[in-house]
Amino acid sequence: MMVLYDGSFEGFLTLVYEVYYAKLHVSAIVKKMPERLVFERVYEILSDETKATKVLHALQKHFTKERQRTIFNIFLCDTKTHEHSLLEYIRIGFKNPKLLGNITNPHLFYIQTLEKELLSLVHKMYGFTRFEELEDGTLYAKIETKFNILPFLGEHFSKRLGKIPFIIHDMTRSLAFVKDESSTQIHSIASFDAPIYSQNEAHIKELWQRFFKATAIQSRHNPKLQKNLVPLLYRTYMSEFQA
Amino acid sequence: MKMTVTDKLTLLADSAKYDVSCSSSGSENNYKTGELGCTHNSGICHSFTSDGRCISLLKVLLSNICIYDCAYCINRVSNDTPRTAFSPRELAELTINFYKRNYIEGLFLSSGIIKNEDHTMSLLLQTLRILRHEYRFNGYIHVKLIPGSSKELIHEATLLANRVSSNIELPSAKSLALLAPDKSKEKLLSPLKHARDISLERHNKPISMSTQMIVGASSESDFDILKLSSSLYQKALLKRVYYSAYIAVNHHKHLPVPELCKPPLLREHRLYQADWLLRFYGFSYDEILNENENLDMQFDPKTFWALRHLDFFPIDINTAPKEVMIRIPGLGIRSILKILQARRFKTLSFEDLTQLKISLKKARYFIVAGSDYYRASHLYEERLKLALIHQGGDIIQPTLFDTSIYTGEL
Repeated sequence: MMVLYDGSFEGFLTLVYEVYYAKLHVSAIVKKMPERLVFERVYEILSDETKATKVLHALQKHFTKERQRTIFNIFLCDTKTHEHSLLEYIRIGFKNPKLLGNITNPHLFYIQTLEKELLSLVHKMYGFTRFEELEDGTLYAKIETKFNILPFLGEHFSKRLGKIPFIIHDMTRSLAFVKDESSTQIHSIASFDAPIYSQNEAHIKELWQRFFKATAIQSRHNPKLQKNLVPLLYRTYMSEFQA
Repeated sequence: MKMTVTDKLTLLADSAKYDVSCSSSGSENNYKTGELGCTHNSGICHSFTSDGRCISLLKVLLSNICIYDCAYCINRVSNDTPRTAFSPRELAELTINFYKRNYIEGLFLSSGIIKNEDHTMSLLLQTLRILRHEYRFNGYIHVKLIPGSSKELIHEATLLANRVSSNIELPSAKSLALLAPDKSKEKLLSPLKHARDISLERHNKPISMSTQMIVGASSESDFDILKLSSSLYQKALLKRVYYSAYIAVNHHKHLPVPELCKPPLLREHRLYQADWLLRFYGFSYDEILNENENLDMQFDPKTFWALRHLDFFPIDINTAPKEVMIRIPGLGIRSILKILQARRFKTLSFEDLTQLKISLKKARYFIVAGSDYYRASHLYEERLKLALIHQGGDIIQPTLFDTSIYTGEL
């Protein structure tokens, strides 16, 4: 049967609960009611904190730390339909954790591959994220990414930016990771004013663009290779590609 | 005429660009609360230039003034080019400004020889001191050891930097004498030997070191080059040897004529592939090539080796141990890991391998998977060569980065 849930992690955990307690046979999981239905029953999941918490505790008990992280990570891949495979992953994990390594099962292979895709995106964005300095010294970065990787970026840059306050703004999801002296949080951003940059910002950006050009070797010119390594969709906020 | 920082950066980045290394990997995460900068074990690429090389570090010379006259070098004293120098403070500030904006992982600092070796090394160290002590900067720093500078200075460099290097420039003493009369093999290797000894006394984990040699400016065979690399990996505890396809920038009686000379990119690519085989795949240099031989241009070194050792094949991927599997052409470490993981659960067929997104393009000629093997061509060298050529189109395009895109290692 087709199952409808609200797309939240809590909703998904409730779904897992219902699968076990209401003995659902799931054929598909959707976030939105499809426009046309042919003879199919739809079971709607209503997010429920108590049920979700129960499942969360069970996950914490039966899955290793690393595999719990896999489950959370998969959920950050919010532009992929991973729910059915994730449900299978959890089902197999409860039954016999040893089988979770069996990548000849298409669901488990999908989960493993998707997590790698996420982590490789995270790794790329560790490099490709660009900060700009605001008037008050805060560093501000805009990103547009396929998956929700703010938690990763936030942790990564907290380690390397020391005491400097910074904001990473996910333009696609209207979320922002904000770190200042007193707090570290992910906010949802309803609207924002165009920021005012520090006096030095334009100059440093120009230096960077100069460096970027000067360090390329003409006789090895290979824009195709460059495009493979920094595909166009990453370049939106990388100033070296805007000159 | 006084140059602005922008002019200096343009000139000194341009002069530094022929150094290949840009890796920022291999340093453990050294996060300290409230301090600026932190290294990342796998290294991070921050951008890629129009030649497809990665930018991980701010790679500049402190100065392009040089008292040496090396034939192949753009900064040799006999060249009439504009000369300039950063002050250590200018460069430190620039590094911090770039780092804060996440343009770079850190600094790669080299220099022409100003006045003498010790003077130059001291200036490099002064830059490092400002970064480490004043700015409390913990990001990645790679510094060139100036051959001929004193032991004390080299000692200090190993304390301040994450990686030190000294380029051996050319693959033999003979070529050095011909093209770089101010340098000798002993002089170039001595700072690396000092650095190794010093850091071994201090830690059980020695400081990471690398070197670079120019390929195609002199007459050595690939066999000579790989033999040298392999002995450097074993003796000097080098982490990496970089190969740099010779790019003609000068006229010289012992060098190829610039107008007629294209950088030998494919040869460079093959050397990197062979280097990978040395470091990660358990091959020795004399397995890869016979004396005086060069690497094959048509086939990658692993395929070439396989074609000469057909008695080693076919390999049963359901039972063979890891170190045997990694000798199969067309299968990299990642594919092998997937196979090892999956075969615990079932006997794998060709179809299973395809399901696991493992490319069989080359590998299928060399493996057995359950009852599957490639029936169309038997293990005869000539037939296999033809099959490999026809299905693969032409020669594989040289991309330096095919194994390194994820880790940021060049």
